[in-house]
Amino acid sequence: MKLFALLAGAGAATALLGWPRHGILARWREARSAAARIRREDALKHLLKCEANGSPATSLSLGGALGLREGEAAALLRDLEARGLVSFAGGALALQPDGREIALHVVRAHRLWERHLAEETGVAEARWHRLAERQEHRLTPAEADALAARLGHPLSDPHGDAIPAPGGELSADDGQPLNAIATGQPFMLVHIEDEPEDVYAAILRLGLRPGMRGYVMGRSTAALRLWIEGREVELRPSTAQQLSARELHAVSRADLRGERTLADLPPGARGGVIGLSASCRGAERRRLLDLGFVPGSVVEARFASPAGDPTAYEVRGALVALRRDQACHVRIAAEGEVAA
Amino acid sequence: MSASPESNAAGVTGGAGEDIFQLSRRLRAGIEGDLHEHLVEALYADAGRIASRAVSRPGRERRATFDATLDRIVTSRVWGFPVMLGLFALIFWLTISGANVPSALLADLLVGRGYPWLQELAVAAGLPAWLRGLTIDGMYLATAWVVSVMLPPMAIFFPLFTLLEDFGYLPRVAFNLDRLFQRAGAHGRQAMSTMMGFGCNAAGVVATRIIDSPRERLIAILTNNFALCNGRWPTQILIATIFIGGLVPAHFAGLFSAAAVTGVALLGVGFTFATAWLLSRTILKGQVSTFSLELPPYRPPRFWRTLYTSLIDRTLFVLWRAVVFALPSGALIWASANLEVGGRSVAEHAITGLDPLGLALGLNGVILLAYVIAIPANEIVIPTVLMLTVLSAKMTGVGGGAGVIFELDSPEEIKRVLTAGGWTVLTGVNLMLFSLLHNPCSTTIYTIYKETRSARWAALAALLPLAIGFAVTALVALVWRALS
Repeated sequence: MKLFALLAGAGAATALLGWPRHGILARWREARSAAARIRREDALKHLLKCEANGSPATSLSLGGALGLREGEAAALLRDLEARGLVSFAGGALALQPDGREIALHVVRAHRLWERHLAEETGVAEARWHRLAERQEHRLTPAEADALAARLGHPLSDPHGDAIPAPGGELSADDGQPLNAIATGQPFMLVHIEDEPEDVYAAILRLGLRPGMRGYVMGRSTAALRLWIEGREVELRPSTAQQLSARELHAVSRADLRGERTLADLPPGARGGVIGLSASCRGAERRRLLDLGFVPGSVVEARFASPAGDPTAYEVRGALVALRRDQACHVRIAAEGEVAA
Repeated sequence: MSASPESNAAGVTGGAGEDIFQLSRRLRAGIEGDLHEHLVEALYADAGRIASRAVSRPGRERRATFDATLDRIVTSRVWGFPVMLGLFALIFWLTISGANVPSALLADLLVGRGYPWLQELAVAAGLPAWLRGLTIDGMYLATAWVVSVMLPPMAIFFPLFTLLEDFGYLPRVAFNLDRLFQRAGAHGRQAMSTMMGFGCNAAGVVATRIIDSPRERLIAILTNNFALCNGRWPTQILIATIFIGGLVPAHFAGLFSAAAVTGVALLGVGFTFATAWLLSRTILKGQVSTFSLELPPYRPPRFWRTLYTSLIDRTLFVLWRAVVFALPSGALIWASANLEVGGRSVAEHAITGLDPLGLALGLNGVILLAYVIAIPANEIVIPTVLMLTVLSAKMTGVGGGAGVIFELDSPEEIKRVLTAGGWTVLTGVNLMLFSLLHNPCSTTIYTIYKETRSARWAALAALLPLAIGFAVTALVALVWRALS
């Protein structure tokens, strides 16, 4: 009897461990091979980004990007070479067509997923990148295409990076570092680097988003003062290095100074809508557009609720209540203020 | 948007051999900003141009002044809240006092006359006793009860509420209260669905359709059950009169028990906010959230139309669902009290089995069983409790026999039955709490399933308040027993 129980126990343990596909061993092997695949894909992605930006990739830069030791990075490159994904043939590390295809898909999946999180969910902005880092290895090319179709074939992700077309080219990062923009020159933020995570979170807390317009008010070695969408923002030059901007020549500093947000309007005052802030995305943005907060609309602040928030605004003949954090998203040029 | 000759001249013509996808991609890359937004802007610009040419608005100024004055009053710091409280107190008073007479009439007609008449008819038709019990004592009686208790208050409450809605006042309530709901991560319009929930939770859940933001709508659905519905007010008032009123001198009893009922209702409001806060920060964090609240112009309510739609869409709709669930449940109630296993009825076995848990919660097995088998409507919980108490305590001379739910004329008689069933003040207090904090009735659960199209949300809506109810009653029982 005892022997029988022992045998049954051993049998059960073996099954638990060694069952094809669902046993612990099989699961472990699967997880290990998935981890190896993820690392290969991350490496190819790094190579593609280096190639697009014209900076040569080395095993050193790869190690830095993936957090690997020198030996590990070299081993990874040998593995990629053996699979015919990269080659050293021209004297420098270069992607082979198969490797480029995988890398492009991973970048595309990542940016599409970030776009999806921004447009179709309420997931907090600081988590987008990390979730997309995981999802980029799970989406198949067909799923990525379906996602792109559902999102209306977007051209850029929420950080301002271009989403490559399948089989297309990865374009180089747009714009120049914010630190290189001259003081007083109007600019538009075009890109925010989402790594490292803590610096990115700090940028989000400052409320900076791609698409915002402003100019540098002044700079010292310790700080950069920006005028951006109707307010002043101060950040460290090392943080500013994570931001890229494009110079604007059709906009004057006076235009930017005259910009305010709907939240600044006292009851009884009017303003003309210039546009919606880039920090307002997805369903929220579409809702504001549908309500008539489009460039050219004249908005009058009417009255605040007894608790002070929300406030009722008259826009295109309708009375609409907005909360303060929404009103902050509507950029206006103050018009002739009507006495309250 | 049609391509104009100018844009063609500006380089739209594709070079020879450039395929149409490449061309479209190249053109699209040249568009600054978001295409969807350009479309919306163009639509508004066109609409604005057409409207300014074609639409004239006579009398607009006068209307605007009237609206502005009214808005200034109902949203003012001084008058906003008093006006709101006054109106809702009035609606509740009209509902409760106005429903008494028709409720009594219906009960007399359906239960007092219809029930014995059907019994006689069934005896004359020679139906066997078990079939008569199952259909008439069980199904008919439960359904008749639900209809007579549920129909009149709803037929008064819903039209009044809809009139206020139609007039344009309710959006202002949402506007006034939004800050409060915003702190809890919810939408101001939840004020409306919550108030509707005081009438009926199933109708309250349907009313959340006005919340257009998915996350806030789910919050409103999942927390609607904390609004003490019409079916639970009588239970609260009865138990408060019997057990709470008795704690103080007789001339304070009425006031004290009324305060206890109000306290339970306010506790429900507190749980609404607390649960909303918790949900919006945990499982609902990833859901889409937007806010917008239109304040439509005031207009005279369309009285007959409102009456018609609120009776058909809300009252009859809810009543029909309740009846559908009451029929099988009536049969179940009767069968549980009459099917015998080993010399005792199934209900008695279940009561014995549930007693340890019930007593640990400061309740008893009868109450827990009543909440299980009277799930179609909170209205029949007390009659079921009375029937089960009589059954399990083997009392004679009270009620209409095993499986026949009944109500007694005076609170004193009910108190006698309940005390004989082993009830204490703690049982009364915890029943009041459990009546607030337990799973919604089956009608509401089914409505939640229909509204969310998800069994998961429906299950959560049922289990969340139940878990809170167990925790709260267990805690109260623990403290109570430690202190006494």
